[in-house]
Amino acid sequence: MGVADGPRIVGFLCNWCSYAGADMAGTSRMSYPPNIRIIRVPCSGRVDPLLIVKSFQQGADGVLVAGCHPGDCHYTEGNYYARRRFALLRPLLDFAGIEQERLRLEWVSSTEGRKFSQVVTSFQEELERLGPRERRG
Amino acid sequence: MAEGPVEQIRAKARELLSARQVECVIGYERASDGLTARPLFAYTPEETDRFILDNTCVHNLARYLLDRRTKPTAVVVKPCDSRTINLLVQEKQIQRDKVFAIGVSCPGVVEARWGESPEKPQPRCQTCPLELPVVYDHLITVPGERPSPGSGQRQPRTGFPEMERLQAMSAQERREFWQKQFKRCVRCYACRQVCPGCYCPICFVDQLDPTWVGIRIAPAENQVWHLIRAFHLAGRCIECGECQRVCPVGIPLMLLNDKLTAEVEGLFDFRPGLDPETLPPFATFKKEELEAER
Amino acid sequence: MSRFLSRQGLLSWLDGLIQQGAVVVAPTAVEGVSLYRPVPKAAEIDLDCPATVLSPKEWLFPMSHTLFTVERKDGALELKEGAFDGRAVLFGLHPCDALGVHLMDVPLLADPADGLYRERRERTALVGLACTQCRPECFCTSMGTSPADPTHLDVMLTPVEGGYLVASASDKGEALLASAAVEERDVAVPEPPNPQRLPTEDLPRLFRALFSHPYWGRVADRCLHCNICSYVCPTCYCFDIRDYARGNTAERVRSWESCQAAGFTRIAGGYDPRTNKGAKLRQRFAHKFLYFPEAFGGPLSCTGCGRCVRSCPVNIDIREIIAELNRLGVASVGSGEKQG
Repeated sequence: MGVADGPRIVGFLCNWCSYAGADMAGTSRMSYPPNIRIIRVPCSGRVDPLLIVKSFQQGADGVLVAGCHPGDCHYTEGNYYARRRFALLRPLLDFAGIEQERLRLEWVSSTEGRKFSQVVTSFQEELERLGPRERRG
Repeated sequence: MAEGPVEQIRAKARELLSARQVECVIGYERASDGLTARPLFAYTPEETDRFILDNTCVHNLARYLLDRRTKPTAVVVKPCDSRTINLLVQEKQIQRDKVFAIGVSCPGVVEARWGESPEKPQPRCQTCPLELPVVYDHLITVPGERPSPGSGQRQPRTGFPEMERLQAMSAQERREFWQKQFKRCVRCYACRQVCPGCYCPICFVDQLDPTWVGIRIAPAENQVWHLIRAFHLAGRCIECGECQRVCPVGIPLMLLNDKLTAEVEGLFDFRPGLDPETLPPFATFKKEELEAER
Repeated sequence: MSRFLSRQGLLSWLDGLIQQGAVVVAPTAVEGVSLYRPVPKAAEIDLDCPATVLSPKEWLFPMSHTLFTVERKDGALELKEGAFDGRAVLFGLHPCDALGVHLMDVPLLADPADGLYRERRERTALVGLACTQCRPECFCTSMGTSPADPTHLDVMLTPVEGGYLVASASDKGEALLASAAVEERDVAVPEPPNPQRLPTEDLPRLFRALFSHPYWGRVADRCLHCNICSYVCPTCYCFDIRDYARGNTAERVRSWESCQAAGFTRIAGGYDPRTNKGAKLRQRFAHKFLYFPEAFGGPLSCTGCGRCVRSCPVNIDIREIIAELNRLGVASVGSGEKQG
């Protein structure tokens, strides 16, 4: 990471919509916090809960999963499965002491650069409020 | 019928083996402490005399069907255990026509520990909504009052008191609680080995590429192990409680499974193993749903 | 007249050792589970603990251990070994566990010795506790020791009214006792209990004769092939070693493993030569009763502590296996041959 202090966010962005949306935020010079490390995946449905849990174990303070809006998934259904998976993973992690606010699922389309920057900014603020996770990597 | 349940099991097993309808009958026999029980695999009619049935018969014997996939096998199943059969048939791990389920009704089992006089009823039996096995080829009724008497097959869930108590604590308290539990874990994988839902040829924890967990035995790795295993059972855990029973260091694993069971029931009105047809939650989706839970 | 240490005297002695900087590893309750752990003060020791779930091998041969780390610093590589440079006292060893330490020494101190084990072993004094009762699973006398056996210990304590009889069994033990308030007292030595005695003299020969017997498959039917028996055992020592790198640091980690584990015998390419349940189960007992005595000239790799009997979720009972090997061996030998 190297950059600044502040919460470390890992972002899994689907290639077709949210990654493009993040890219648009960049090209349109919309600023958002630099603490997010973006990992491009083909689809939000590809995000294995292991990736999320491992991110937390390796020191992430927050994990963002972003995909196409339901109905617009490039692979038709991937984000529907992601939505179900997420709806069960979040309460499980919360139960284990990883607060539910630390895991976010957002729908960001390829033209929603502003939305992306707003999402990361508000996520950063939320995580600052929560404080860092205990590092036990 | 004058014969008690034990005699009925022995008679049925003798009948099945003599007729060569099955190669093996899996039931319970007395353990070496003279107090608790252990699984018995009977291959001949003579061996069936060793079968017993009482409230120390805690093991989920249906798990052993995964070791005998193509071999005709009879297995004694309590109501909770019987859900295993539906689960494994649906997931195409066993063939229904190779299984002869000797279903037994169940007044509840005890916390059975080797060498200790079995007295304390298992808490999960007190919230169990099942009167009878959900699938069976032959039914044997066991007399006895259940801790919380029911009046039918599907009971409204009376809740998971232990899990709810933990959920009501603060995030920090929950973190500390689980940190203490995971510190004790020795990664013996007894929880995985005993679980009928864990049958991956290579478990994620044994994968080298990528190395999700590795061989280090430490709280951080142990947490990844337990959380992901629980998640892999989301919508699949049939609540036999065996994982918690076999843990040599007493980690209350069912708390994790109960949390997900409650979520799955609340969000999808689904309980696994009740029938082999209904699709589990991760196998399907609705176009409009769960936006509030995001 | 015997040497006597009061209960309070014992606690003061151990607290004194802790204050001098020694690590005292003793049975203690961890969330209600009895385990050997370093204790910050003697009051946390469960002095009346009948048996811990895991054996004291955890201290000398840790469950998960960084053998060394390598760090890239200023263009150079810095190697740091996972050494132990303190002093330790392993307290509360029943004779079965003392025998367990000795049986771990046999392979791990054999030339070339495991350096990290040897270091911990040399820096650790063994203080034993004689047994006043047996548990139903105990069978230590079948394995060459007994409830009051001081062999392999530095100090032996025998519980009596109000305290302990004290005997040093080595120079190390005598030196350790120097700071203890030992007094002379006329106390009767209690009669030790008498655990069951199984015939074990002929086990290696019987095992070899019964190696291909279908008995192993029958026992293995209910085996879950978890790691519990190997992990609670004082003498099982299989391990795995892997390297993990992250950023500028790499470390070599050694962790316990079990011959029962899935993938224990899996080789490159994915082939596993030992998938048969009977063969897998048999392996553990073959190590204990055949390979170990053959390789090291005699002792069986078992202490009769009974932990595996107590912890096995499906009641695979090593005593039943010993008894059955004897029974089957007699049956199979037949006419004319000398019975073992």
